[in-house]
Amino acid sequence: MKGLVDIYATLFKTDLAVQFQYRAAMVIWLIGLVVQPVIYLVVWSTVAESQGGEVGGFTGADFAAYYIAMMVANHLTFTWVMFEFEYRVRTGAFSPLLLQPLHPIHRDIATNVAYKVMTLVVIVPVTGLLIWIFAPRFELQGWAVALSVPALVLAFFTRFLVEWSLALAAFWTTRVNALNQVYFAAMLFLAGRIAPLELMPGWVQTLANVLPFRWMLAFPVELFLGRLTVEEAVHGLCMQAVGLTLALILISLVWGRGAKRYSAVGS
Amino acid sequence: MCTFVLDCTGYRANKVRILTREENGAAMSEGLAIAVDGLSKEYVVPVREGGLAAALASLVRRRTRTVEAVREISFGVEPGEMVGFLGPNGAGKTTSLKMLSGLLHPSAGEVRVLGHVPFRREREFLRQITLVMGNRNQLVWDIPVLDSFERNRAIYRIGRGEYRETLAELTELLDLEELLSKPVRNLSLGERMKCEIGVALLHRPRILFLDEPTIGLDVTMQRRIRAFIAEYNQRYGATVLLTSHYMADVEALCRRVVVIHHGRLLFDGDLASLVQRFSPHKTIVVDLEGGGVDLSGYGEVVECEEGRVALRVPKADTARVTGLLLSELPVLDLTVEDPPIEEVIEQVFAQEEQM
Amino acid sequence: MGPGGEAILGGGIVNLARLLWVFFRVGLMNELAYRANFYVQFVQSLLDLGVALGSLGVVFAHTDNLNGWLPAELVALLGVYFLMSGLIGTLIQPSMQRFMEDVRQGTLDFTLTKPEDAQVLVSISEVRIWRLVDVLQGGIVLLLALMQIGTRTGLGEVLIFGVALIAGGTIVYSFWLILATFSFWFVRVENILVIFQSMYEAGRWPIGIYPRWLKMALTFLVPIAFAVTVPAEALVGRLTGEVLVGAIGLAVGMLAVARLFWKWGVKQYSGASA
Repeated sequence: MKGLVDIYATLFKTDLAVQFQYRAAMVIWLIGLVVQPVIYLVVWSTVAESQGGEVGGFTGADFAAYYIAMMVANHLTFTWVMFEFEYRVRTGAFSPLLLQPLHPIHRDIATNVAYKVMTLVVIVPVTGLLIWIFAPRFELQGWAVALSVPALVLAFFTRFLVEWSLALAAFWTTRVNALNQVYFAAMLFLAGRIAPLELMPGWVQTLANVLPFRWMLAFPVELFLGRLTVEEAVHGLCMQAVGLTLALILISLVWGRGAKRYSAVGS
Repeated sequence: MCTFVLDCTGYRANKVRILTREENGAAMSEGLAIAVDGLSKEYVVPVREGGLAAALASLVRRRTRTVEAVREISFGVEPGEMVGFLGPNGAGKTTSLKMLSGLLHPSAGEVRVLGHVPFRREREFLRQITLVMGNRNQLVWDIPVLDSFERNRAIYRIGRGEYRETLAELTELLDLEELLSKPVRNLSLGERMKCEIGVALLHRPRILFLDEPTIGLDVTMQRRIRAFIAEYNQRYGATVLLTSHYMADVEALCRRVVVIHHGRLLFDGDLASLVQRFSPHKTIVVDLEGGGVDLSGYGEVVECEEGRVALRVPKADTARVTGLLLSELPVLDLTVEDPPIEEVIEQVFAQEEQM
Repeated sequence: MGPGGEAILGGGIVNLARLLWVFFRVGLMNELAYRANFYVQFVQSLLDLGVALGSLGVVFAHTDNLNGWLPAELVALLGVYFLMSGLIGTLIQPSMQRFMEDVRQGTLDFTLTKPEDAQVLVSISEVRIWRLVDVLQGGIVLLLALMQIGTRTGLGEVLIFGVALIAGGTIVYSFWLILATFSFWFVRVENILVIFQSMYEAGRWPIGIYPRWLKMALTFLVPIAFAVTVPAEALVGRLTGEVLVGAIGLAVGMLAVARLFWKWGVKQYSGASA
């Protein structure tokens, strides 16, 4: 275990250095991350206004709070591994990684976390700015905020594992874009990005509860904002644990087959 | 050795101007395909040392340095001539070529190609020239070669009949038959180069600018391409300007060589004169009966193996040493050779360095 | 105007059409060989549409108008969004990306030695045929939405729509060209274009809903308003005369600026001193 910590520390350091080189590109990427929540924030606030100030239990200020929290949560849990993999398989950059006595996923986790750390410098002021502009209403409860931290961590890992497994599809087909699109569409609707899940029709909410998407993103946000009861929170954490376990199983299944396939087909 | 116009004030004052009929130097007479007089190109590059202090300082005050890529070169090329620009990397060959094809504005001097001023990029001018760069492709990567040809046909407004004819000729000369339907990415380097040359010649240009066309190719392909260029020049009388750092290119193709180094024109004439002027030595190769004789008394022994000795002697001494060898030794065979051209060129550059 | 600077009007437009047709035909012939790409694009576009309609659906489960726009009108907006998106993705985006690549690789020299206006050549250099699926999809969605809206769209509106669309397209093209021209001096300009693509999504909703500062940004900084909202307004009868005139004026103005900036960029690139 200690060895792993060492490895992470080293990977971390080099990743920070590399990413610093691309800081302009990173900032530009961030704009994309910020734009979408802002759009929906505005849309839903407009809806709320047209309905006399509130819709589905959300006022304009509530929507602001929701989407700002959603933006931060999304930023902290998102990955770009599917694009990375497509690139790796296409250019054969994966081969050296397979030869190392380290599961490639650790590299990607390290890079991901390093990126999040680097971008804190920008995310924090941007969040502050958005709070200033949109005047959100936060009604936070201590226990909920405290619990939302582990919830976020669980969400991060589950989402990472799922997206990493998805990225492995690059071993079987070059048309990963279409597959990714389906996934992103699901995330949009079932993870509370198009609208808070409470506003979705009943059947969508049921679907969201059964499938892992809610637990990968929407749940920590809802928890943080204090919109859940204690039972719901506990239930959610359990679901997250289940989700994580399933994700681990998924990844070991797919990875085994994927690595074999990659070596069989060649780079 | 800055004896010419390119000091700072001179540079600003000496703007490029259009030549009127009245003004002419010997090089600017009307019959020439290419006329160059005092052509120069300078770049201003920022200068900065490493380290944080220097980086900060450069924000406040930008220090710059002037690089003289081409310094006052002058020459003329007759229509139908094949001229080779020879020089090491960074000598200014490609820069000169770019000024001749209109891609770069000269800093000073005059240049006329087919009567046009290249950097004005008039359509009439562009229709008559073509550019081939050895390490870059104009062919579109993903589509079959023929489709790239089609695009150029449209751009150069080549009539269908004429296009068909030219295409047939080029296909035959370059052996493109099987390549035309393949996407460029599926071609080998040599095949790609053949197609590049093909597409560049579709519009029957009068002037060919070839920038290192054989770079990276294997020997066979290099020969094929050289043969093609020579053939093309013969058939269509096109003027060819070729840059290369391969001696073999120039040797095979160009009777006339222009040597450029550090932006300066060192030599302009035929290869034989180049050797004459810059090589003060000749090599005498002697086959001796019995072998194993020490010939160091006659000259510098360059090579010695199995009874064959190569001696380098000063040109002036050649006749004398030859006579001595023939009279004093059991000579089976004797030849007098010029040193390999590579050596000569190296000599030229070495001399230039010392200046 | 300088070398190769013959007016774009008149003979220039015919020539442009001729070249565009040749480049387009070449691209088409090739892509037809890869029919699979068509199906993939088809599926992806459909998915995009599904997501967009879905989000509209969720919104309209809670209200019956968004800033005065009725559901069918928002669907029409969506149609224009996809239409414009297709146009950008078929020609403008790939050509501009190709141009920036050419500057980096030094292959722009080939374009500059051709006897055609370099800006024209650069702007049509690459055609992604299958993105036309978006155009088709947008058109169909638009038609269906208009049928739903019913009476308010007559021939006059359609003509004005056409003008607004052309104006919008011109503005987007000029915007991209101006940004791409920066690659003569800066190396990693492609990243800036990513901003456009992220912000383009804001065009799915009428820009009237955005706070003033964002509205300004989406109109003048990244011209999404003129690309999507304005043409849509024309079709649903919301377009005011002054906005239309503004759009046309901006289109002409930006095209002129883009052209001048381009020519200046080429001059700098070829080392013309002062």
